[in-house]
Amino acid sequence: MTKVANEDQLVEFVRAARDVRSPFEIVAGGTRRSVGKPVGEIPMLDVSGLSGVIKYEPAELIITAGPATPVAEIKAVLAEKGQRLGFDPADWSRLLGSNGAATLAGAASSDASGSGKLRHGGARDSLLGFRAVNGLGEAFRGGAKVVKNVTGFDLPKLVCGAFGTLCVLTEMTFRVYPQPQLSTTLCMADVTPEEGFAALRKIALSALEPVGLAYLPANMLADGGKGAALIKLEGAQQPLEEKIALAHGLLGNAIHPIEGDLFTAIGCGEKFADIPGDIWRVMIPRAEAPRIAMELHARHWLGDLAGAVLWLAADPAEGARIREIAAKANGQAMLLRGSAESRAALGLFAPQAPVLAALSKAVKAAFDPLSLFNPGRI
Amino acid sequence: MLLPPTDAKIVARRAEIVAALKAIVPGGVVADPSGLATFDADALGAYHQMPLVCVLPTNRQQVSEILKYAQANGVPIVPRGAGTSLSGGALPREDGILIGMGRMKRILEIDYENGCVVVEPGVTNLNITKAVEANGFYYAPDPSSQIACTIGGNVAENSGGLHCLKYGLTTNNLLGVTLVLPGGEIVTLGGKCGAQGGLDLLGIVTGSEGLLGVVVEVVVKILRKPPVTRTLLASFDSVPAAGQCVAAIIAAGVVPAAMEFMDRRCAEAVEGYNQPGYPAGAEAILIIDADGVEADVTHAVFSITEIVAQCGGTTIEATDEKQRTRIWSGRKAAFAAMGRLAPDMICMDGTIPRHALPQVLEEIAKLADHYRLGFCNVFHAGDGNLHPLIIFDTMKDDEFERAEAFGADILRLCVKVGGVLSGEHGIGVEKRDLMTDQFSEADLEQQHRLKCAFDAQGLFNPGKVFPTLSACVEQGHIHVHGAQLPHPHLPRY
Repeated sequence: MTKVANEDQLVEFVRAARDVRSPFEIVAGGTRRSVGKPVGEIPMLDVSGLSGVIKYEPAELIITAGPATPVAEIKAVLAEKGQRLGFDPADWSRLLGSNGAATLAGAASSDASGSGKLRHGGARDSLLGFRAVNGLGEAFRGGAKVVKNVTGFDLPKLVCGAFGTLCVLTEMTFRVYPQPQLSTTLCMADVTPEEGFAALRKIALSALEPVGLAYLPANMLADGGKGAALIKLEGAQQPLEEKIALAHGLLGNAIHPIEGDLFTAIGCGEKFADIPGDIWRVMIPRAEAPRIAMELHARHWLGDLAGAVLWLAADPAEGARIREIAAKANGQAMLLRGSAESRAALGLFAPQAPVLAALSKAVKAAFDPLSLFNPGRI
Repeated sequence: MLLPPTDAKIVARRAEIVAALKAIVPGGVVADPSGLATFDADALGAYHQMPLVCVLPTNRQQVSEILKYAQANGVPIVPRGAGTSLSGGALPREDGILIGMGRMKRILEIDYENGCVVVEPGVTNLNITKAVEANGFYYAPDPSSQIACTIGGNVAENSGGLHCLKYGLTTNNLLGVTLVLPGGEIVTLGGKCGAQGGLDLLGIVTGSEGLLGVVVEVVVKILRKPPVTRTLLASFDSVPAAGQCVAAIIAAGVVPAAMEFMDRRCAEAVEGYNQPGYPAGAEAILIIDADGVEADVTHAVFSITEIVAQCGGTTIEATDEKQRTRIWSGRKAAFAAMGRLAPDMICMDGTIPRHALPQVLEEIAKLADHYRLGFCNVFHAGDGNLHPLIIFDTMKDDEFERAEAFGADILRLCVKVGGVLSGEHGIGVEKRDLMTDQFSEADLEQQHRLKCAFDAQGLFNPGKVFPTLSACVEQGHIHVHGAQLPHPHLPRY
């Protein structure tokens, strides 16, 4: 394993790898190494040294940091100024049984966006700019350090969710958001998936700007009856009280506040950490959630983002069926946790249609023509 | 501004190309000079060029056939929506097919439960909102041309508007597109669920300025209209005080729906034009909208009013809808008011870090002296997007050249203070030659290789965005060293 401490060292390392065409795996916190197709026995590049806040400008709503900066560190720095990351970066380490600290680059590269996505979008909507080294060993820059920019191609979008297959990041600039003073989670207990998701959609379609909307079946939440719809709202005291009152107006008085913030655990997949089997995130149009949840028929599942993401545990043999159900709904089934055999057989996502697959391959080659970075991961 | 040289061989084949397109789109080909004159420019009015031919398809199969034909025959393609681009993105080519998407304007599906609308690319931005507003919904991005501009053009330019700080640009409000690639293949990126199951190509296509393909279907998010909106007018004795106020509002955790800055020149011009009632003598004014549920808005208005006072400013709140409209009428008339002062005007567009505002405005004033031209500044203050308006008279000696040079210096200044060349208008031809001020050669080469992944023959919108005319070549492990550009024998234009 080679460790690099700065961009110059990284350029040197990539050029050397390029010259001998030696692919490698990029590792920072190392918490997400088991996501995606196994890359095989190849050397590792440790970029954990590219860590730390580089510049934080609260009044500009941006923060620039090394890609290996732990998410926890960024959150703490932002909290001091009453701000936060909008996409609620999810730490999957408990789910994946890994140690180490979840990093900014890991969260963005794996598009690990939590429930805040409802209001502020995913990682792609927060990453404004970056520096990186491509597969030719050239340092380059994408995006910028301002919140509004349409100059050139929007490369930050592409880097998010690319699982480190395009370039090695050396610096990242994120848009940040104010942290409201208060938040509360409301629970509508003892409802069927049909009723629960309908309630969540009502809130999603309201002006309440929810930051969490999930449905948990009976075996996922104690005291939830046959299932519970959870709604997270936030604001200063009076606005929050008004939002709660409006939520009552929309859903009747069957909702009550509950203690604690369940949404971090939901986004991080902690509800599934101790459940055996493959763990899937099935992304679908949210209105289809009750029907598809029924069709998937998993013993352990829940619906996040008002039904747009169904989490479920399944036997490895179920993979093809899950993919088929997702495809029929024009959705995507992502195998988030699985054995090496499952991941090798099923891949992270279903194979793309030939034209799209060829285009994706050409885009990958535009950054990393020799396929040096995390080969085959997605 | 130079465009790539016209290929005379293509122009010589015009009759044959027209005939081929007529076979693909019967009744949808414009080839006569008077008809083509309609399409000879977009909203970057200084540049005109008659296209070789204009074709107006009505469905995706026709688009696909057109692109297949163009690729097989090596004919450049310039996509066009409503032609409202301020950066020349839809400027035609003498040797290129202009493909106008205005006839594909059906709203295909309104899906409230999934919070989205599926449309063809020629639907105007405003018509999306109109289709859903009776049910209390709207489409958030609102470029000033929204009455005319199409959603396909919005996708190409990643259009913004007044409300970006809170609601984002086009890219943040888009769930999917169907795209016809330069070879005629049709791909769908994203969809109602937004997920793509691989690389985020939707993110790249958005804002790609017609360089990667033709969008034939768009899925956008719709939002519930905020129940309450209140408008404040704040005035200041100095520009730094206004700048400090903007920073303080943001730092206090308030995200206004809109926060517009006008300098004294602009405020006076509009006061003389449609009397919006701005306080006389103010060096800077801010127009601020807060929206949301009632208590949220009350909270925001209270905070903003307090901060304005701390910064030495004075706040007036619109008490009714009529006054709200009046306050906004001045901002919305800024172009017209400035346009009255001279025959010609250009609107620049750059983004700066907000803290640099006083410095940038001071330097712009110095540049105006240097170039001996009139100007004023309007600014989407919340997100740092600056729109200096430069007025001039093309008929007077070298005023046009001076205006362009003035504008270019402003954009260089934006980059110098840590900002960018474009916040929402795009690069097009207007800012193309400035790209090297913002990006290194390695940065631009990386972007160009991405372009080649979509358009290996370089037929899509040539001469736009990239300052160097370079061909797409097989990308290997060969590294381009130092200052040596790829293909040094090719001209720069």
